[in-house]
Amino acid sequence: MNAPSPPPEDFRARAKRALGDRNLKIALDRTTGNARTKRAAAVAAWPAFDRAREAAAAIKDHALQNFPYYLERFERNALASGAKVHWARDAKEACAAVIAICREAQAKTVTRSKSMLGEEIGLPHALAEAGLRRVETDLAEHIIQLAGETPSHIIWPAAHRTREDVAKLFAKHHRDHLLLTEIEAMVASARQELRDDFFAAEVGISGANFLVAETGAICTITNEGNAELTTTPPRVHIVTAGIEKIVATTEHALQLTRVLVRSATGADLTQYTTFHCGPKREGDRDGPEEFHIVLVDHGRTQMLEEMPEMLRCVRCGACLNHCVVYTKIGGHAYGGAYPGPMGAALTPVFDGLMETRDLPHACTMNGLCKQVCPVDIPLPTLLRDWRAKSFRRGFEPRALKLALALWAFVASKPALYRAALAVALPLMRRLGNNGWIAKLPFAPGWTNTRDFPSPAKRSFLAQVRSGEKKVGSGEKK
Amino acid sequence: MSARHDIFTALRRLRPQEFSAETIEARARKLARAMQDSLPPLECSDLCENFIARVTAEKVGATVERLAGWPDLPEAVARYAEMHGLEKEVALQPDPRLQTLDWTVFLRADAPLRPDSMLAVGAARGGIAETGSLVFHSGPEAPTLYGFLPLHHIVALEARTIVARFEDYAAAEQGQPQPRNVNFITGASGTTDIEGVLARGAHGPRRLHILIVG
Repeated sequence: MNAPSPPPEDFRARAKRALGDRNLKIALDRTTGNARTKRAAAVAAWPAFDRAREAAAAIKDHALQNFPYYLERFERNALASGAKVHWARDAKEACAAVIAICREAQAKTVTRSKSMLGEEIGLPHALAEAGLRRVETDLAEHIIQLAGETPSHIIWPAAHRTREDVAKLFAKHHRDHLLLTEIEAMVASARQELRDDFFAAEVGISGANFLVAETGAICTITNEGNAELTTTPPRVHIVTAGIEKIVATTEHALQLTRVLVRSATGADLTQYTTFHCGPKREGDRDGPEEFHIVLVDHGRTQMLEEMPEMLRCVRCGACLNHCVVYTKIGGHAYGGAYPGPMGAALTPVFDGLMETRDLPHACTMNGLCKQVCPVDIPLPTLLRDWRAKSFRRGFEPRALKLALALWAFVASKPALYRAALAVALPLMRRLGNNGWIAKLPFAPGWTNTRDFPSPAKRSFLAQVRSGEKKVGSGEKK
Repeated sequence: MSARHDIFTALRRLRPQEFSAETIEARARKLARAMQDSLPPLECSDLCENFIARVTAEKVGATVERLAGWPDLPEAVARYAEMHGLEKEVALQPDPRLQTLDWTVFLRADAPLRPDSMLAVGAARGGIAETGSLVFHSGPEAPTLYGFLPLHHIVALEARTIVARFEDYAAAEQGQPQPRNVNFITGASGTTDIEGVLARGAHGPRRLHILIVG
């Protein structure tokens, strides 16, 4: 008998553990630091970037505004190209559709090119359960497959691993068993290791960055070339995609890559941007004989009703790289397929707000995620909406409710508020030392890891009234 | 009811079609034009020079040589092979512009394309100046894997086929049948998956060399 598994850790416990992980901090600083620098350079070279962001958001909104029209058009054109189209209401149906196609193809080995939708619906697990050998071909996915982990970033799934970690994993698992020190050599080792599998697989599975209504093609964007090597040699290509990937035209898809790629890696365009349309044609020397597209709802129609802006998301990862919470705790602490601000907005849809209500709270509301979003998603607003919903549905602790009610009562009565401040300020100042409070009696969670600033002697309003401070001058008298 | 039925029922309830197909698609064209008012700047007015500047920039990292005409191609390929210490044999994309050239003086050009091919030579359908991208449409004359299997990929690109922007490509292809694969290739294969540091030759070619013809 198996021992009963321990209760799953909650977000706070996971975050706390991540904060104490020195290696994780090094890995996150290196990856997200590089990402921020490169994005900043790309944006600086494009003076009209902000207007382009608006144009990109409008392009996605247009597709979503005419969602059934374009989705039906996509389906019609895909079918005409010889593709088979499958529909899935949820994760279970989506995985079942993929497994059925693999069984039909009598597949033993499947190669997979990184797809966040695949992670979202639990496809790696489903393939394993079905007894299929899964080979992840994206370098980062390969790394975490060796480590037995899940992705911690939507663009860099191995963002939590340092080069030293990767070297050890490769030395242990790769056939050459070399302990490498240079990143170039590690990349070459992975190339060698995975080469034969591209040709051994009966089925190749990819995601899609765009579904193009005008042509029925799906678009993949990668830097390694692993998508094309995953989708071209095997006899069967399966695409799994969320229905919100729909865009009107090839032109719109290409225009979106402009803001997407710069936001993700700082490049003008990924090395490989490929539109795939149907199976092998007459005279083709390569290409799959069967081309399947599994279109997945899994909460999209619900989002269309409750937070349609989130369906604009093009999965660039910029909000993760710029988030003061993500860059400290990494992706695994979030506990879902998608971490960071976009993950905190999405995960409650998939896993339920009750279980995931800590995620929308793990946000400082500094607004950076919205500022860097290439399709201008108001992430802080969406997260605040989740907080409000959680409060309304009674998921928040009673103590918080009482404290907020008390604060609202006092704050809405100016005389009482001023009186309360007049009592509280001197008390708090007595706790301080050199302008900082090392230990707050009612908020030990704050002061355990950092000091709290000592308040001013008197409130801002009191200072203005007494003439100590002039409104608008910004200077002390 | 089927999943398809349920999904479309939900979508139609939430986003009922308010306009005709013509109106919707006119709106789509208008949005594409709106993006064109805020494009990233091109560095030079000459498209070919701009293409070269982009493709040789550090983040794309390809190399370029200009040739007067197609007949100069075999010698240029042989020079490249020699410079990189490669065997003088290439897998040649079955494009008639390449196949009709005289290769015999310089090297063997009948090697099959294999998973471990060292050198393949292809011909692009066109180029995009804005990003330094090569465009390939798959077909009997352009199998997809020529761009992905070799360690060194040499691509011939006719200067006159370079357009400024994605939008120009889309306009030129408007109404044409969609190929099975359209590949935009921008530099050699690379990855930033370890610590965000760029390393070349992940699964596709480690080097991309472009011979601009004309």
